[in-house]
Amino acid sequence: MMTPTRLWLPLSAALAAGLWLVAAMQALPWAEWPGLPMRPEAMSLDQILLGFGLMPRGVIALFAGAALGLSGAILQAVLRNPVADPTTLGISSGAQLALVLATILAPELLAQGRWPVAMTGAGLAAGLVLAIGARRAFAPVTMVIAGMLVGMTAAAIAAAATLAQGQYLLSLVIWNGGSLVQQDWSGVRVLALVLLLGGLGAAALARPLRVLSLGAEGASGLGMNVAAVRLAAVALAVWIAASVSAELGMVGFVGLAAPALARTLGARDMMQVLALAPLIGALILSVCDGAVLLVAGTSGEMFPTGALTGLLGGPLLIWLLPRLRGSTPPGTEAAEGPAPRLARPGRLLAALAAGLFAAVVALVWIGRVPGGWAVLDWQSFRDFLPMRLPRLVAAASAGAALAVAGAILQRLTANPLASPEVLGVSGGASLGFAAVIFAAPAPSALMLNAGTMAGAVLALALVAAFASRREMPAERILLAGIAVSALASSVLSAIMAVGDARAWAILGWLSGSSSAVGLGGALGLAAVSLLLWASALAARRWLGLLPLGAGIAGGLGLPLRTARLALILLAGVATGAATVFVGPLSFVGLMAPHLARRLGLARPEHHVTGAALIGAGLMLAADFGARMAGFPYELPLGLFASLIGAPWLIWMMMRAGR
Amino acid sequence: MTLFAIENLSVDVPGRRLLDGITLNLPEGQVIALIGHNGSGKSTLLKVLARQVAADGRIAFEGRPLSDWRPRDYARRLAFLPQTTPPAEGMLVRELVALGRYPWHGALGRFGPRDHEAVAAAMQECGVEPFADRLVDTLSGGERQRVWLAMMVAQQAGTLLLDEPISALDIAHQVEVLALIRRMCHDQQRSAVIVLHDVNMAARFCDHIVALKRGRLAMQGSPAELIRPDALHAIYGLPMQVLMKDDGTPVAVPA
Repeated sequence: MMTPTRLWLPLSAALAAGLWLVAAMQALPWAEWPGLPMRPEAMSLDQILLGFGLMPRGVIALFAGAALGLSGAILQAVLRNPVADPTTLGISSGAQLALVLATILAPELLAQGRWPVAMTGAGLAAGLVLAIGARRAFAPVTMVIAGMLVGMTAAAIAAAATLAQGQYLLSLVIWNGGSLVQQDWSGVRVLALVLLLGGLGAAALARPLRVLSLGAEGASGLGMNVAAVRLAAVALAVWIAASVSAELGMVGFVGLAAPALARTLGARDMMQVLALAPLIGALILSVCDGAVLLVAGTSGEMFPTGALTGLLGGPLLIWLLPRLRGSTPPGTEAAEGPAPRLARPGRLLAALAAGLFAAVVALVWIGRVPGGWAVLDWQSFRDFLPMRLPRLVAAASAGAALAVAGAILQRLTANPLASPEVLGVSGGASLGFAAVIFAAPAPSALMLNAGTMAGAVLALALVAAFASRREMPAERILLAGIAVSALASSVLSAIMAVGDARAWAILGWLSGSSSAVGLGGALGLAAVSLLLWASALAARRWLGLLPLGAGIAGGLGLPLRTARLALILLAGVATGAATVFVGPLSFVGLMAPHLARRLGLARPEHHVTGAALIGAGLMLAADFGARMAGFPYELPLGLFASLIGAPWLIWMMMRAGR
Repeated sequence: MTLFAIENLSVDVPGRRLLDGITLNLPEGQVIALIGHNGSGKSTLLKVLARQVAADGRIAFEGRPLSDWRPRDYARRLAFLPQTTPPAEGMLVRELVALGRYPWHGALGRFGPRDHEAVAAAMQECGVEPFADRLVDTLSGGERQRVWLAMMVAQQAGTLLLDEPISALDIAHQVEVLALIRRMCHDQQRSAVIVLHDVNMAARFCDHIVALKRGRLAMQGSPAELIRPDALHAIYGLPMQVLMKDDGTPVAVPA
């Protein structure tokens, strides 16, 4: 092994030990440390805090980090994917969702311990992502996009459930961030066992995995049962990751970072990576936890360490991207079978526009009253119009803007899974919103809007800078966006972990609300949407050429860099404008362009227009549902849209790429 | 006249030099084949000429340095077809061919009568009129390749760059496509640079052959000059035998 390893590993180990020692010394001077064996009845309170709090915390950081590093290394080996890990494949989010749902719907399930529930959720999420991946030849970038989407969906549903239950689930919010706080040594014992068994399993699988690194055809040619080895390895990795999730919560990206660092430090062979990754993972989590202890002190020890590792994960993913080689076999990102094509798309577009108008009128006219439904008479219609029209206009405009952004991104990347939710713009917008909430004591709506837009533009600038740095394949840009989203969501969970009223304000906005909008804001949003639609039409020739790839488009004299930047900017502004209103997660930007395409709108101008109309209609439907489903209470609009969108998304990915 | 004047051209990727100090003049009005072993840099050279890959050194196209050309002006003079043509999702043959007019009308310009004429002429020249209103993705490999050629023709460029245009075709379609390219060039005074794997196809359809070896220029000349056992041995590092067909054209086979 290389010299840097010899230098870096002891250095980081010393750093981790030093950080922990500083924290421990602050808690209790060395002279008063409890001697072994520790007997609580004979110890002072400070000694108990050290012996049963800080000490197991230091050890569990090592064990959990090692377990995550091992899990990531196994996943990366079996999927031949250098960006695979429990976070990017949605496994940790699946475990989290299962725990949230169990806490709400069936608390008695948790009586058996958190582990079986977390394991079920993690297994289901992993199964879903792998099923999607199998249809696309396990192309690494596709797998991660699918995994992150599944993770985001799970997080959205978990947020919905948390919001519906109020304070009851506050502990789960903390758990989401991955706190390493310990009360005794039981967690250490569990994870030690997991690590031991996992290590044995990994050792047994090492040789088959090495053969599998030849690829499935090559390995089965050597007489290996590829499916069995894959299943065993993935099951092992999922079990390890779910165990850590059940014990500590979301500790993101350690599984991604550890094998990557192992390779950077000179581990060429898969065996070396498998051996070195747990060691590095242990050190990463230890150093992170030590830093949290140092900054927060013993007083603020509720700050979750998992949020800190998440902060490192986004930049790490971006750093890894250019180092992915030959990741996407040609054709694997293609859409499912040929979509139909209409001979006369104008008729469909006219019908959609008429339907949209009729829907707006009908939605103003009818409404739910206590005890039933009511159709307004003329007088009430005029009274209700100023109340209902703004939110309908705003909902439709936001839907149209998101749909236009989605259509642009899907054409830009030639990837049917591209959408503004994935580009990181929504994540940046949430960060801007959160920043204003925390910076200003009583923020006005204007300040919130400005903050949200600024966040969106900043995230956009980050992705655009990355995209323009060099000739970057479109799906890498997509992944960069996902990395920005991941960064944003980990910052958010860190903020939420503080758990006061401001956290609830953010959570409420995250799920989207349309009740607060005024007529001026609604008309402004409508104007922005119209402008974006017109700009997309002006760029229709770019949108027609770009799906053919850089070779063809560049060969025809299209200014690739300018076109990409302009279109990303357009999509970003559209997303930012809509996100202020509906919150970051709605999936309308994903669904509407896809629906338009399946309806047979093939040419760019028809596609964009149809997507905008469908997006507006979808958001109106979501708004109606959000107002009616829980009458007289309103459910959050964005949440309702994502509850429609998530099953659609998963269904679409399951059948895509045949 | 010189089509491309290449001087001391090098392309580096981390850890490897793909092209190493190539100095070469490519003649105008001819069908030129680029041949060489796998990894010899022939595709890289073509991509450099198409301005798809950045390179060190000096290259002039029609007497002007490559960097001086504006993208659309360059595309009006030169058309490029990559090795793997992308799926044209939901696109009709007529629409794909019309994309070749982009260098002329740009992002916002009107698609005028001259554009319609150029598209119609290109479809006729490549014989794709019978399926003008079919979806590109439903065509067979040979038909689809002719559609992409028609798109290049609609570009009305004097020079065609093609990266292994026949690699995915059966032998009948290989001959058909290469014969079409040769006819297009000789009838309309176009130039073409084609990357080819098959040395016999290169000899049969091209006027001039440029051979690369390990990123350097190995030799260049007419088919008669290159289809010789000693020359082929030098290019491919393999003993080759040259047989004569009845009509006097040479055919190379591994000895």
